[in-house]
Amino acid sequence: MGKEAAGRFLLCFLAVSYFLVMLLSGGADRFLSGQYTITAILRIGVPDDEGTGIAGKVAELRPVREARYRTPEDAWKEFLEAYPGLESLRGARENPLPGYVEIRLRPERMSEEGIADVRSALTPVSQVEKILSGGDVMPSLLRMKRWANALLWSGFALVCAVFLVILAMQEKTRAARLVPDVSFLVDRGVPGDRIAARRTAGAFVAGGIVALVATLVSCAALFLVSGFFHFVRAVVGPAQDLLDARYLLPVCLFLLSATIFQGLASLAGWRAAFPREK
Amino acid sequence: MIEAFRVGAVSRGETLWEGLDLAAGDGEMWIVTGPPSCGKTLLLHILRGERRPDSGDVHVAGESLYRGSPEHNRRFRASSGVVPESLPAGQGRAVVDLFRLSAFAAGGVSTEEIKGRISELLPLVGLSGAEDVEVSSLSVSERARIALVVELFRSPRYLFLDRLLENAGKEWADRLGGLLRALAREDRTILMMERQLPDIWQAAKVPSPLSSGPFFLYRLGSPPGPERKREAEGPPLPAGPLSETTGGVE
Repeated sequence: MGKEAAGRFLLCFLAVSYFLVMLLSGGADRFLSGQYTITAILRIGVPDDEGTGIAGKVAELRPVREARYRTPEDAWKEFLEAYPGLESLRGARENPLPGYVEIRLRPERMSEEGIADVRSALTPVSQVEKILSGGDVMPSLLRMKRWANALLWSGFALVCAVFLVILAMQEKTRAARLVPDVSFLVDRGVPGDRIAARRTAGAFVAGGIVALVATLVSCAALFLVSGFFHFVRAVVGPAQDLLDARYLLPVCLFLLSATIFQGLASLAGWRAAFPREK
Repeated sequence: MIEAFRVGAVSRGETLWEGLDLAAGDGEMWIVTGPPSCGKTLLLHILRGERRPDSGDVHVAGESLYRGSPEHNRRFRASSGVVPESLPAGQGRAVVDLFRLSAFAAGGVSTEEIKGRISELLPLVGLSGAEDVEVSSLSVSERARIALVVELFRSPRYLFLDRLLENAGKEWADRLGGLLRALAREDRTILMMERQLPDIWQAAKVPSPLSSGPFFLYRLGSPPGPERKREAEGPPLPAGPLSETTGGVE
């Protein structure tokens, strides 16, 4: 019984952890949005306050997670870091590089539509000279991202399927163990539906507790791991995001489904507990 | 009242018996004796409404258990208790678990009430404080006695006992006999299946004219009318608060 409960908890923990990771990361979305930037190069001579203003406006766009204005001086420093020894290019003349706005998209808006929204918002701005958004590579990159996401969600579906199969097997074994008890009750005139209802209610409550504990442990593990490893934060995202209201509903729905499935598995297995009609 | 009319049973293509009549009224105690494998347990199942007879019928309170409504059959089973010939060992099961199961069958019994009734019932069969003992560690006699009090927990109106006295052992026959007579006096109908009439009831050696085939039927319970009243005042009850124990949870 203890092994059975531990096995069920572990499976539930695995499924809920997978779900939370997918929820936070959006599959490959988080990683890709961390790597990918849209760069809006401003015309030479655009004042810093205008550049900052443009960055502020861009940050208000729906698909944008972050927009930062880089002054021509910042651009020059970055250039020298990348290509040391070319200080002579500047000479006595003014900084030959313009300022620019570096834009990062939200993971869930990491799509052709999201990029197009930002581009169409920046194109009419007279201070913007050029928009760099990945060009022709992006459509194939985004297609690959969709495939990767589909693969990852399929993995989740597989984990859920394994969970359900093991759950059903456990319930059947459990029901077979209960045959003497059920025979006792049926022989004493207890209606079968009353036994089944009681058993299902018990499984529902126990399943809910297992799912809740597994979720709490999984959340704690995510907080711990993402606190320690930068890589996890970059790929999965900060665990603090789980406290965001928009993640609350999916988590609650998942908990409810896990609970309902455990109740249903018990209901499906209850027939095995009944003695054959004499 | 349980009435069997011309009941017959066939097992493995052979007729075990046929034309058996029996009428067990309220407050009556009957013992059916017969050699091994003659179908005593089968008769018990038939009288309990668990196995349709191959001929004849069984009526309870005037309605057939097999041709009447399934609800009537279920109600009858709910109001009857049965001690089987062998109580499953139930690995990992404590005695209290059996009482809990019985409480579930009775319905609406609080945890406190379960505890209280266990502490009243176990001393009746010499097993005080055995509630946490594993069933698998009990002897055959102890299991038989536990099975009896687990049934008494629900205070059944009808009791079917399959080789209870034989399993409980000679040293318990007197005490259990007294307990059963007292239960019969509370208007319960008791049907016992034994290989032979226990010594304690040798006085009632005259079998009923209803005896049929391999069986001898003995009526041992309180006779109806004034005779019964006299008997009720007669023999002493076994130790323990019997009237409290056998009344109540129904």
